Amino acid sequence: MKIRLVLIIILSNVFLSLYPQIVNLKPLSERITGYKLDVRLNPDKKTVTGDMQAFWVNRSADTVPDIRLHLYMNAFRSNRTTMYREMGGSPGNDEKDLGWIEINSFSDKNGADLIPRMQYISPDDGNRDDRTVLRVLLPQPAMPGDTVIINVNFETKLPSRIRRTGYSGDFYFVAQWFPKFGVYEPAGMRYASKGGWNCHQFHATSEFYSNHSVYDVRITLPASHVVGSGGMLISEKADGNMKTVTYRAEDIVDFAWTAWPGYAVFNDKWKNVNITLLMPKDRVKQAGRQLSSVKHALEYLDMNVGPYPWPHLTFVDPPNIGAGAGGMEYTTLFTSSSSYFVPPFFHMPEMVTVHEFGHAYFMGMLASNEFEEPWLDEGVNSYWEEKIMDTYYGNNSGLIDHRFLKFSDVSSARVSYVTSPSRQLVSNNEYSWNYPHGTYGMMSYQKTAIWLHTLEGIIGTETMNNVFREYYRRWAFKHPSGRDFINVVNDVVRKEHGQEFGPDMNWFFDQTLYGTGICDYKVSGIVNSKYSKPEGKTDTADAEVRAWSSTDSLYISKAQLERVGEVKLPVDVLIHFDNGDEVLERWDGKERYKDFEYKGYKQIVWVKIDPEYKIKMDVDYVNNSMTTEPSKAPLHRIANKIMTFTQFFLSIMLL
Amino acid sequence: MKISGSLRSGFMWTLNAKNSILIVWFCIFILVLVFVFPLRRSLTTAFGASMITGKLADGINIEAFTDLGPAFKSIMSFFTAGLMFTFLAGFLLNSFLTAGLFGNVRKDSVKCSSSEFFGMCAGNFGAFLLISLLITLIIGIAFLFIIVVPAAIVSLSETVSDKSQFVTMVIAGSVFLLLLPVMLLVADYSRAFKAANEDASAFSAIGKGFSFAFSNFRESYMMMLLLILAQVILGVIVMLLLPGWRPVTGGGVFLLLIVSQLLFILRLFLKTWRYASVTSMMNEIEAGNTRTIDKMEL
Ligand SMILES: [Zn+2]
Repeated sequence: MKIRLVLIIILSNVFLSLYPQIVNLKPLSERITGYKLDVRLNPDKKTVTGDMQAFWVNRSADTVPDIRLHLYMNAFRSNRTTMYREMGGSPGNDEKDLGWIEINSFSDKNGADLIPRMQYISPDDGNRDDRTVLRVLLPQPAMPGDTVIINVNFETKLPSRIRRTGYSGDFYFVAQWFPKFGVYEPAGMRYASKGGWNCHQFHATSEFYSNHSVYDVRITLPASHVVGSGGMLISEKADGNMKTVTYRAEDIVDFAWTAWPGYAVFNDKWKNVNITLLMPKDRVKQAGRQLSSVKHALEYLDMNVGPYPWPHLTFVDPPNIGAGAGGMEYTTLFTSSSSYFVPPFFHMPEMVTVHEFGHAYFMGMLASNEFEEPWLDEGVNSYWEEKIMDTYYGNNSGLIDHRFLKFSDVSSARVSYVTSPSRQLVSNNEYSWNYPHGTYGMMSYQKTAIWLHTLEGIIGTETMNNVFREYYRRWAFKHPSGRDFINVVNDVVRKEHGQEFGPDMNWFFDQTLYGTGICDYKVSGIVNSKYSKPEGKTDTADAEVRAWSSTDSLYISKAQLERVGEVKLPVDVLIHFDNGDEVLERWDGKERYKDFEYKGYKQIVWVKIDPEYKIKMDVDYVNNSMTTEPSKAPLHRIANKIMTFTQFFLSIMLL
Repeated sequence: MKISGSLRSGFMWTLNAKNSILIVWFCIFILVLVFVFPLRRSLTTAFGASMITGKLADGINIEAFTDLGPAFKSIMSFFTAGLMFTFLAGFLLNSFLTAGLFGNVRKDSVKCSSSEFFGMCAGNFGAFLLISLLITLIIGIAFLFIIVVPAAIVSLSETVSDKSQFVTMVIAGSVFLLLLPVMLLVADYSRAFKAANEDASAFSAIGKGFSFAFSNFRESYMMMLLLILAQVILGVIVMLLLPGWRPVTGGGVFLLLIVSQLLFILRLFLKTWRYASVTSMMNEIEAGNTRTIDKMEL
């Protein structure tokens, strides 16, 4: 009886705190997991200690014998952990430098001690020095519909060498800090052929795959610290030198927070979203730049993908001492990156802000598995980041907008893909830690973004927007896989274009996402030859000559095209003649070469493949066009300027 | 009054040395052409008959260049190697030619034929080279200690806020810029002294350079600031005019070349004015010293 009473009290406590709606009117997600945390920051020991009460609901039809939890902070235990092995370096040798998470007590809803049932496992690489995944064998397996409740007392020591998370002096960025459930995938979900936990170790290059959860978090910390988090502030109570803040977050995949006495706080609003920006006091001049860039991103994604459903958003521009926490995403909280002086023409801080905010959609709401399909997270998000930057900061100047040099965000992605010597090393569809030779960034961010721009070039901007609107409609607050995304593309393209591109678009993804080929189309020649009158014994000569009033200025003109790369895409070809005529041809791009031939009183002057540069995947735009009247003026102008520059340089540098 | 007098006579001497200035311009033009002409050839060859050059109409287009692939890499290595070679050759050529200019911008050599000019160049080349090397070395060391070391310290420190980093670098940069006119004064006085005293060694000329610079420091420094200001104004004009000027026709490009070269000749004129004014100031100081000695003897 007593046990039952305790159980009822615990259960009602958990559910009362987790289920009522505070942030939004209705739950946005299924809420398979939920967390209630009550912790204390110890500024001397650099630890966060406290209690966690969490649940996981078995929504599958499986009987599940265990649960799996991420213990990310153990990645900072030594230089032998998987994260440090992958990225090199060391968390340090001193106790103050290391990071770890220690479980002091672990019990289930009945109070049974689960510590003897705990086991550290390394499903990805078998590394016994990695303790970032914990398996706990349940006393009774979780039956379909069961809720597993755990009570954990833990101590998290923050690392001094901040990588996403850690401390520096009195600056704290507390992320990946509590025991967090993996995702149980029943058969049929994403690529799962049978039910099982998807709970990867902490790697150097990837961060998230989690269920959308409700978080109730109470933090006690020094009163002097300004706090920001991914939740909505419910209460703040001071008690001497300390204070306790309570946050509530709903339907997000991770809860992180930051504390530092040096923050200045700015508030702004976009529609019904309250925006909070925390930044070092001496950077206040840049607050306007940061706030307007996040509002641009909100507006653009709201218009072209779907609504941002939370009424709050906090972002942080960490100080220099905490620069390692910059450029990270926790959905309703994200970090940008900047410094005291960034010239206004250089839009790097804006770009980081737009990118990290974009993850609220691509990973936050559309919660794909970043470990296994980083392209679906980083690549898709980079594509949108580039569209937003080039829309709001200038088509040619999204990244750099200086009188002397302009550089668009999409060009910067394209340059990094085109110039990479490893661009054909591996397909785009790899687990994040499997990209060889340092190709993770170029592949999962830039190459993906570039083929998405190419897809947009083929199917059109409006269809592309509709693809993402549909992707959002079907998959927001769920866990889409790359296959699911491709299915959306196929459905929307079929609906809007019928069979124009074939029964589906798989041919595109087979070459770009799953293939390693490059795309390169080339104009190899322009031939204008005078029509030669029929000579000798021909049967058709009379009719042929009669068809043309004069054969003196009659030409046979040819535009000779080649496919240099392996990737086959349909391309537009624009042909310009000396009498001003222009012909726009379409080439399916499948053969190795193609000649367009014309007969008439005109000669070809120039030929352009993909005249609007829509096929961003083409690795060489120089050979996309050819003219019989090349203009050397721009090159001579550049040479002249190099000459003048060199003269002035010599005159200034030499006494 | 020494400043305006020196600037005025310096200006007149510079006007008289216009032929020498044109010779200097021509020599530098040829040197730079040796570097730029093959670069221009490789650029036009690499782009061939492509119309991507149309993208260059709005200025440098990074994509158009990186798409050249291996050709871009070889153009870039040619550019850096060529610039380095031109700088080294320019160092020698500059020492040679400034010897002629310093010889020319003096009261007693208003008229100067090209053979006389080259004679003065050759006569003082070694000493001028040594003076340039030593002063450049001193400036380099000053740069290292005033700019590089503080920059390294603040960027390595984890506790310095980025505002303090920025302010530190602004202060370091300002200190260096304030010190620069002093180094230029020493370099110019040394060479002016050497040009006037053929028998003096390079080292004694540098010694004299320091003593001239500091014996009449305030006026020398103010005059140098004014001369630098004139050069900065020209620099601003050049920056406003040239980088944004993007002609698309052959005629337009030729006009750009002419205007650029005229501006560069103006730059050489202003630099020679600096040499001449410092020479004039040196004469004033020497005359003053002589008068003092005369008075003492009386
Ligand atoms: Zn990202």
